[in-house]
Amino acid sequence: MTTAANRVEIDSRVFNPYSKDFIRTPDPTWQTLIRDYPVAWHKELGMWIVSSHELCDKILKDNRFTPNFRAWEHAPPPKAEADKNDFDLAFEKGFFAVSTKDHLRLRKLTMPAFSKPVMGKIDAKIRDLVAECFDAIGDAGEFDVYSALANKIPVRSIARMVGVPTNMEEYFHEFAVSVIKSTRINLGPKERDEAMKATLPGFAFFRKLISERRAVSHPGDDFLGNLVGATENGESLDDYEILSVIFALITAGSDTATDLHTFLIHGLLGNRDQYELLKQKPELMENAIIELLRYGSFGKMPFFRFATDDIEFGGQLIKKGQGIGVNIQAAWHDPAKWENPTKLDITRRLDGNIVFGAGAHFCIGTYLVRVQGALMLTEFMKRFPNAELANGDGNIDYEWTHHNARRINRLMVKTNRQAGQKAA
Amino acid sequence: MNKWICVICGFIYDEAQGLPEHGIAAGTAFNDLAEDWTCPECGSPKSAFEPYSE
Repeated sequence: MTTAANRVEIDSRVFNPYSKDFIRTPDPTWQTLIRDYPVAWHKELGMWIVSSHELCDKILKDNRFTPNFRAWEHAPPPKAEADKNDFDLAFEKGFFAVSTKDHLRLRKLTMPAFSKPVMGKIDAKIRDLVAECFDAIGDAGEFDVYSALANKIPVRSIARMVGVPTNMEEYFHEFAVSVIKSTRINLGPKERDEAMKATLPGFAFFRKLISERRAVSHPGDDFLGNLVGATENGESLDDYEILSVIFALITAGSDTATDLHTFLIHGLLGNRDQYELLKQKPELMENAIIELLRYGSFGKMPFFRFATDDIEFGGQLIKKGQGIGVNIQAAWHDPAKWENPTKLDITRRLDGNIVFGAGAHFCIGTYLVRVQGALMLTEFMKRFPNAELANGDGNIDYEWTHHNARRINRLMVKTNRQAGQKAA
Repeated sequence: MNKWICVICGFIYDEAQGLPEHGIAAGTAFNDLAEDWTCPECGSPKSAFEPYSE
């Protein structure tokens, strides 16, 4: 019988997501977790850590494990209706908090703005801003991928989609980080509360935008206009539902996508044969992006889920209200699922991958990420076909204290542009 | 022959093409897929699909 008394426990000697060794070279830790501790209670993080591909896939598809932070045993107590602010109200109406039925309704209403059929429209909307970032690099012999591309393209793309003025892009990057931090269970209550308060001016800005769109006869054909005008069986989205969608888009698409660009280039230039193959066969692009995400596996902290009941899972008893870190970054390197998991192979068959999660909360921005990554890489390959990592490792550095990701914040690339042009 | 879209991930099931690589022959109607069939992209159940027209 599975009981709380015989649970498997680990501590930071097995998994310390904040250690520099882990951030630089995470795979040995992941392999230990997958092999020896596929489900274990982390005594210092105060949550379960689930690490094998099979169990991560299973838990993500099991609705008894909710992403709703309010289901956590240590969540702040519910507020009285009169005390709720815009953050609270948008969170309550959001993808992570509503019932399964309402979640499906929200996804149906927002699908036109995010799904595969609209990839072309997203491409047209952000193509020029990707090119502008490369124009700014010009003929430089070397440049930093983080500051020139990764720190600009995602936040500008989201701002463009949502309709944020260009001069407020930085402000909304900060807004996105604050939204994410507001419910991170690896942070303390004070830090969460401060982050939540920092989101409020951003919500006020969007409420005003929504109200302006509602006041005109046609709300517009852009992303916000689509949300304001969206209907499903005569029902439309209210202000807080729209705020919750913007909240989801900004959080999923800006800070997280920063790592997309650095890890795409790091992975390709670190595996020259694969860079050459992609140049020869650009039709592999979509597969390459997913494989590069799997290979680079840039996450530091797992996804969070919360048990809505006492549940036996993977031979352990997970108690109602306990937090679970779904360590999909480890799962992407699980040798039981992936042959030679630390090898980059852009032709790899990726059936059943959980790179964008799985189940009801599958990443809503998956096609935005694919379009953004493809535009960036296509432009990169066109302009810098002979590029290489400076000094072999790109003088790589990390933002060691980032709350969520193994954030590369310096990656120098030698363009070899002159050499390439002369050779051509 | 119709098309169906997964509202969770945007995957489109085209009845005319089926999913031969997953053992589903071209021409297989969505309603004839097994009840426990799941979206090959995100793993959502059949109930997450709705008719899709371009």
